[in-house]
Amino acid sequence: MLTKRQNFLETIRGGKPDRYVNQYEYLNIVMGTPFLAKYPVVAYGQENVVGAWGVTWTWPEGFPGGFPVHTPDKIVIKDIENWRDYIQEPDLNYTEEDWAPYVAMAEKIDRKEEYVTAILAPGIFEMCHHLLEIQNCLMAFYEYPDEMHELIDFLADWELRYAEQICKYLKPDAVFHHDDWGSQISTFISPEMFREFIKPAYEKIYGYFKSHGVEIIVHHSDSYAATLVPDMIDMGIDVWQGVMNTNNIPELIEKYGGKITFMGGIDSASVDRPDWTPKLVAAEVQKTCKNCGNKYFIPNLSQGLAVSTFPGVYEAVSAEIDKMSKEMF
Amino acid sequence: MSMEKVNDLVTRGKAKLVPAAVQEALDEGCEAGALLDTMIAAMDVVGENFKNGTIFVPEMLIAAKAMKKGVEVLKPHLASGASGALGKVIIGTVAGDLHDIGKNLVAMMIESAGFEVIDLGVDVPIENFLRTYEENPDTKIIACSALLTTTMPALQQTVAAINEASWRSKVKVMVGGAPITQEFADTIGADAYTPDAASAAKKAKELAA
Repeated sequence: MLTKRQNFLETIRGGKPDRYVNQYEYLNIVMGTPFLAKYPVVAYGQENVVGAWGVTWTWPEGFPGGFPVHTPDKIVIKDIENWRDYIQEPDLNYTEEDWAPYVAMAEKIDRKEEYVTAILAPGIFEMCHHLLEIQNCLMAFYEYPDEMHELIDFLADWELRYAEQICKYLKPDAVFHHDDWGSQISTFISPEMFREFIKPAYEKIYGYFKSHGVEIIVHHSDSYAATLVPDMIDMGIDVWQGVMNTNNIPELIEKYGGKITFMGGIDSASVDRPDWTPKLVAAEVQKTCKNCGNKYFIPNLSQGLAVSTFPGVYEAVSAEIDKMSKEMF
Repeated sequence: MSMEKVNDLVTRGKAKLVPAAVQEALDEGCEAGALLDTMIAAMDVVGENFKNGTIFVPEMLIAAKAMKKGVEVLKPHLASGASGALGKVIIGTVAGDLHDIGKNLVAMMIESAGFEVIDLGVDVPIENFLRTYEENPDTKIIACSALLTTTMPALQQTVAAINEASWRSKVKVMVGGAPITQEFADTIGADAYTPDAASAAKKAKELAA
């Protein structure tokens, strides 16, 4: 039996995996850094928590995650033409001692079995709309392109300095980076606009990680983003996590398999619901595995972490994937 | 030519140029109502292009903004209420749900189609939908959205409350949002479900006709 890591590599290289990579099993995420510890992070049920970058967050009960609050008084960048006057850059001066607890977490992971993984969220696009409010942000791409370029360069430079410390201390084998680029039926911005504004930032960021010891880049966008796949490949993304069925995953595997792997296919909305049943989960997992095959594909809930909103759903999906491994391998 | 220019500028979302183009068209003797119609037609095209995937959310937002700027210039020249001639639509994201952009796009497209929109925002309690209708009994449509599987029950409860109201037969109920399907809409007793903002505007016109 291959290790989780070997099995993952066989899957993404089109070799001979002996079973499905079961959801997030190959990533062992180090859930913490001094930066994450320093700034408040909204917790389930909390309201109006001001986090890093001055963004206010609320996480209502029953929600899968927190929400940036964008009442007029809480929008951070109130005027994109003067964005520098509003931005509050988080501190990145951390010592070896500050990093020590997280280094210890990374050291406990068996790197032969799993990838020591650094997690970064939110991403560059998300940061833009968290700071500006989404409609203001999307219109600013048209109305204030120069300022948006400046803001994105600023955010990317900050992240590169953060990446430097992550690589120095955690020495991650993989990076799991969130940045939602679309709704379930479309990307938020056109591929052309994406190439102009967002792609260059990720070429720098992912390029830095890859040249500093990171082997695998896993990017989360639980959305439609099929039209961005060639750009994901250019950026250095190895695994697109969160790929939803609206993307026609079998077609993407056929077209791009070998250059990128697709992780998802079990849309959270279809099974992670109040009326879920093991039967529903089994049907979705079977359908997904049969449609997508067993190479360049990792069956997974589209959710951006190894959790589900409703207790038991994530585990039920894992159990069904194990069953499908016996059938498909 | 002036009408075509206004249509083209709205389609391309040129919010800074539309007011002057509308004024120019009025100065040349174009009818205010016809100018409004040409902007509505432009937004129809924008909606179709969005639905077909040839344009994206930013293009739709700037087009709606351009139309709004044009309507501001037109308003003094229009008969009272002409810009919302198709009737009132109450819209909101249901209780417990904070998602707003999808609901906002629907609101914009419905407004651009010629309705007067009463936007209740997000996290709207059932009683707010009911009270707003009772304060605006000439409302043609109540549109509710839910973007999470966890808030689908709130959508169901909202529609159930509307269905029990004594005035239910006088209003149509539309629902939408990422996890919502036609099947779910039928189950909860809504009159219509649409998967995107352009279809919502089109459906609203059908329902209000």
